[in-house]
Amino acid sequence: MNLELVTDPAAATSQDWAWRPGDWYAVIGSGTCALLPPEEKDRVARVWELVDAGEGFDEVLDALIASGLRQMRGFVLLGDSEGETRVVVRGPARAHFETSAGPVDVVGQSGTTWVEQVLTGVSARVIQVGASETDQDLRLPGGLVRVSRVSHPAGVSGGAAAAAEPNAEPTAEPIAEPAGEPEVDPSAETAADLPPHPDSDLPPPAPTLPAPVPQPAPTPPAPVAPPTPSPPTPSPAATEPQPEPAPEPAPDAEEDLEHDGMTRAGLPVAAEFPRTHPGLPGQPPVPEVTARPVAKLVISNGDLIDVDRVVIIGRAPEARRFTATEQPLLVAVPSPHQEISSTHLEVRPGSGADLGAAIVTDLGSTNGTVLVQPGLPPEDLRPGIAVQLIPGAVLDLGDSVTIQIAKP
Amino acid sequence: MVTTCFGAGTDVGCVREVNEDSFLVDASVFAVADGMGGHHGGDLASRIAVTEVAALAGRHHGAEEATHAIVAALSAAHRRIQALGRDDGGWYAGTTVVAAILVGSGDGARWLLANVGDSRGYRFTADGLEQVTVDHSVVQELVDSGALTPEATRTHPERHVVTRALGGPVECEPDFFSIPVEAAPRLLLCSDGISAMIDDSEIAAILAASPDPRDAADRLVAAALAAGGKDNATAVVVDVMGLTEDEATYDADTTRTTLHQKLGAE
Repeated sequence: MNLELVTDPAAATSQDWAWRPGDWYAVIGSGTCALLPPEEKDRVARVWELVDAGEGFDEVLDALIASGLRQMRGFVLLGDSEGETRVVVRGPARAHFETSAGPVDVVGQSGTTWVEQVLTGVSARVIQVGASETDQDLRLPGGLVRVSRVSHPAGVSGGAAAAAEPNAEPTAEPIAEPAGEPEVDPSAETAADLPPHPDSDLPPPAPTLPAPVPQPAPTPPAPVAPPTPSPPTPSPAATEPQPEPAPEPAPDAEEDLEHDGMTRAGLPVAAEFPRTHPGLPGQPPVPEVTARPVAKLVISNGDLIDVDRVVIIGRAPEARRFTATEQPLLVAVPSPHQEISSTHLEVRPGSGADLGAAIVTDLGSTNGTVLVQPGLPPEDLRPGIAVQLIPGAVLDLGDSVTIQIAKP
Repeated sequence: MVTTCFGAGTDVGCVREVNEDSFLVDASVFAVADGMGGHHGGDLASRIAVTEVAALAGRHHGAEEATHAIVAALSAAHRRIQALGRDDGGWYAGTTVVAAILVGSGDGARWLLANVGDSRGYRFTADGLEQVTVDHSVVQELVDSGALTPEATRTHPERHVVTRALGGPVECEPDFFSIPVEAAPRLLLCSDGISAMIDDSEIAAILAASPDPRDAADRLVAAALAAGGKDNATAVVVDVMGLTEDEATYDADTTRTTLHQKLGAE
């Protein structure tokens, strides 16, 4: 083999990522790579902007989880900087690394928020987020693409693939690549940082595949030797032997925090949020702050209130357990005879079957609330029971305070 | 203009060697934080939390603006605490925090309370003591789901496990509570070294018997120590002037003068 054939393609392609078609999104940039499930299209757009702008791991992670973790069933974030590789895995995904201290697998687990790992001396990485229909790797230097698997440097196999074929050389692909599979240059492999991303052209999206099947069981990687036994010019970090990598940082974190002896930290779990939003099964709940008001409240003292969020009405209303993004509107009404309770009732935009309508709930007021819907006899609201309001309905809180429900 | 008078007490307790609690008292911003974590990370973490909250003091806030300011302050604290561990070997430190800030003005003056973890905010009124904040703890979840009675939480083996904290692997949002000041003439912020050691009826009795908030805070801490002092104990008691019955018993300026005179300084 002549020298140019070996070195030139290796130099060019060692910067590439290899990928196989699937339905997850992979956002690949210089130094950072994020994978998101197919339903996270909105987040993908935001993440792409950051990754393409060359933002680092922390910035991308912030953006990834900015709108909440609970709704997102999985993701993988990978970042390289100064010889360190950080990886976060949530949900049905697994990442396999070849490091100077041997192979490391990071597998997302149900029940934890995510699994995080910091590695040094990483020479190869493979991330599997679904079943690949082909063993053939496609390549790209960076960009946004729908994948079942990505790996870097291109041409290194590992993880499940290596386990399935114990004899396979890490660099030997069973199917010849169109461009010819180059041997991975050892010096290229030790370069831990990725090249700057040259352009932002999106590659054409791969055909959508059925929902990814999570790896049934984390297959322990076959005891393959590190791809390059003795790199001639290792990066400083690569010479540091990796101290016994902990497979699950999350439980460790819990134990570290236990030190106090009394107060301990656990991790947020879904059951922690007892507020359940009514709504259609499988449909995302309507946010408590809606873009457009669903009704207007005409209060007898002359106040006009838009119902575009939770509105709490009373003599001196209190708001319990809300978040900064879902701030209720507190409306005080006069009650010279104290007939109205300090926190009397709430009106909120409905969700699910009540979508588009305003919903009233008496919050356990002392003297109760009378509701008159158009064409119906007056009814007493039962505390805690939500009732849909029809335009024209009138709520009587006592002390001559009434609220009429008008169209927005 | 709403005027407050306040007192605070803290003690390492009878068992622990380091006091990892921190507190903040200012004219309109108050906080208690209960730190945890190795390498003395706990006391640093709680100090970072109250320091960030202290940045809100001395400014006038509207209610909605204040919630965003608190979220930003706690988020900054979270990142600083995370960095603390990251820069020093990868350990985790964390802290709970409960904060109370006066927002609005005149008739619209309100207490805005925020909490992360199991440090608590109570209000004490003529009707008695009421816990305002909802703990972020395993036992609170069990109570919410109906699996545990509130009484049983005091002996549950996981009663000290919090589900939200600043500085942990995941950033946690605070919950907020908004109450007109008239409905909370006296506030108590405390770490679980108080609330887990003495029950609500004893807390209420001490608050009722202590017109001066400084006495109230000291007595709460003393009672927690007398009950075993198994954890750091911290209490902050805040009275809104003009709303409590014994407002005349405390005047900061008078007290200071008297003290100076007693010391022979004047």
